[in-house]
Amino acid sequence: MAEAVAAGDAPADSARPLMPAIAWRNLWRNRRRTWLSAGAVAFAVGLTGFAMSMQAGMYGTQIDSATAFFAGHVQLKRQDYIDRSRFEHTIDDVTTLVRDLESRPGVVAVAPRVEAFALASVDDRSFGAQVLGVDLERERRTVRFFNRVAEGRMAEQPGEVVVGSALARNLSVNVGGEVVVLGAGKEGGVAAMAATVTGIFNTGMADFDRSLMVAPMAAVQEAFGLGDEAHTLVARIADVDDSREVAAALNADLPPGVVARSWQAALPEISQAIEVDALGGVLVYAIIMLVVAFSVVNTFIMTIFERTQEFGMLRAIGMRPGTIMGMLQIEAFFIWLLGIGLALAVAGPVVFWLSVQGFYLGEAMSELAGQQLFLPDRLHAKVNAVVLLTSPLIMLAGVQIAALIPSLRIRRLRAVLALRAE
Amino acid sequence: MSDVSVGNGVVVDCAGVSRTYQEDAVPVHALRGVDFQFARGDFVSLSGPSGSGKSTLLNLIGGLDRADAGTIAVDGVAVNALSESELSDLRLHKIGFVFQSYNLIPVLSAQENVEFIMQLQGVAPGERAERAVESLASLGIGELAHRRPGELSGGQQQRVAIARAIVTHPVLLLADEPSANLDSGTTEELLKLLRRLNDDRGISILTATHDPMVMGYAKRRVVLRDGAIVEDSAN
Ligand SMILES: Nc1ncnc2c1ncn2[C@@H]1O[C@H](COP(=O)(O)OP(=O)(O)OP(=O)(O)O)[C@@H](O)[C@H]1O
Ligand SMILES: [Mg+2]
Repeated sequence: MAEAVAAGDAPADSARPLMPAIAWRNLWRNRRRTWLSAGAVAFAVGLTGFAMSMQAGMYGTQIDSATAFFAGHVQLKRQDYIDRSRFEHTIDDVTTLVRDLESRPGVVAVAPRVEAFALASVDDRSFGAQVLGVDLERERRTVRFFNRVAEGRMAEQPGEVVVGSALARNLSVNVGGEVVVLGAGKEGGVAAMAATVTGIFNTGMADFDRSLMVAPMAAVQEAFGLGDEAHTLVARIADVDDSREVAAALNADLPPGVVARSWQAALPEISQAIEVDALGGVLVYAIIMLVVAFSVVNTFIMTIFERTQEFGMLRAIGMRPGTIMGMLQIEAFFIWLLGIGLALAVAGPVVFWLSVQGFYLGEAMSELAGQQLFLPDRLHAKVNAVVLLTSPLIMLAGVQIAALIPSLRIRRLRAVLALRAE
Repeated sequence: MSDVSVGNGVVVDCAGVSRTYQEDAVPVHALRGVDFQFARGDFVSLSGPSGSGKSTLLNLIGGLDRADAGTIAVDGVAVNALSESELSDLRLHKIGFVFQSYNLIPVLSAQENVEFIMQLQGVAPGERAERAVESLASLGIGELAHRRPGELSGGQQQRVAIARAIVTHPVLLLADEPSANLDSGTTEELLKLLRRLNDDRGISILTATHDPMVMGYAKRRVVLRDGAIVEDSAN
């Protein structure tokens, strides 16, 4: 008995489990196929990740322009005003409430608004208009709308008003002209206000340009017989994504009858449009991932076919089918890892660049966006946990299932036959 | 011969074993009522013409296939009655296999191949490595421990397969034409090795072969023809 002829020293890594080593090395028996599979995974994950980040960026811009432009991240109104829009359904003691709200967590700024309908007249021309009474200083901290007018300047003093471009055209009034506003006051009396046009705004949005007039809140309150009252409070919060949470927190402590609504609740048409668009995206992503999953199924069908004899030998020496399938699952996991690595290496920098630099919307778009919609002229990719994790995790499940399906036949593999198949 | 079915001295006890393959329309009677006993510590060569049923008998004893009739007991355990997973465990713990080819996992080194079977058995990593090194060394291929099968000659690969087969201390080593792919010089070395394992360590060996040289090294010769034992003699 030639004991220990050359007892080679045990390698330091002998504690390393052999299954992952086998799985990893098996990948490199057919490099081309492995890279093709990993490339397909990278393609699916990279493309969907890129598209999702652009989508998120676009939605972010849409939400931002819908909320931070004018409507606010969170709105407060009386419930009966939401239901019936009656002028007398005002929130009382607005000054105190606004200060209180501004001290709540997550709230950055709050601006009160008086909303009245009236007839605006210049000489013998009269048009219906919405008269908005605002606290200009607070509005400027809350939304962007009041930062800029196309012509002239904002209405800062009682007796001043700014008018939408279409309304101004209809009334044939220019900066410096006089407008008379007539409406019904809170107690039913006639409300009248005469003001000088200090500016004309042009948003490109018909609702605004055609019917809106903005005047200092005190003047509108006085003309329409209101005290320290307002119809709507709009709030800017630290992160628009927290809109629902902040609204819920505010609702816990508000004067009776007053409710805070997230932008999703206040502007349902926008949140629904985004949901519909996102659903379309999900369908496309699902198809891409399905196609890639099928290519992985194909890879494993070939792998398993080629290694039938090896699996037969493994069965013969006492390895259970489940263990062999587990080994293939590890191989699938490594293919996924390689794919994720590739995706990060290729799509990662692109998305990062687009999230920092943004995507230039083009000459015409940027002009429209900048001057009329008050939108940024660049679309930025947005990366968050959802964008980062969704497609990789779905792809992981896809890859593991794709490897599992063909490997199920290993359970029926007869070692004798597999070994005979030379 | 027929009065002992289970006992310390008997590793394999086959009684009336038949196996018929029904693959095509014509049934093939690979084994027809074979009675065969194998004593612990024996070294038996199983020979006979091609198609005489050698591999079939080995596979039945090794629990890779099931008999249609008769009983097979390995180390006192009736193989017929075992479930698939019990058969897996029987192969893993009690039987060492050496095939003609495809013995080794191509992506593992010689040592890792030997360790792998111990990992399946749940042997601790440190002990695993130690026993693998020892097993390879005892077969004279200690210095090849870190080579992969593709970097080994046919004879060296068969030695690694034997190292793997015996490292688990099986009750029986089954070898189906282990020398079929080897030249005569290498075959002789392999046979000397098997004989030494049998003599020195008392490892029970059952090998199917066409090779007269193999028969010469065995202690007992069993000859099959048309699925029946036609000769059984001590060397
Ligand atoms: N899985 C199978 N399906 C059908 N017939 C089979 C199968 N396995 C073996 N046979 C048949 O059974 C008979 C015995 O085969 P076996 O492989 O046991 O012979 P052998 O003695 O090992 O032959 P060889 O020396 O060529 O290896 C042969 O006629 C063979 O064709
Ligand atoms: Mg054979």
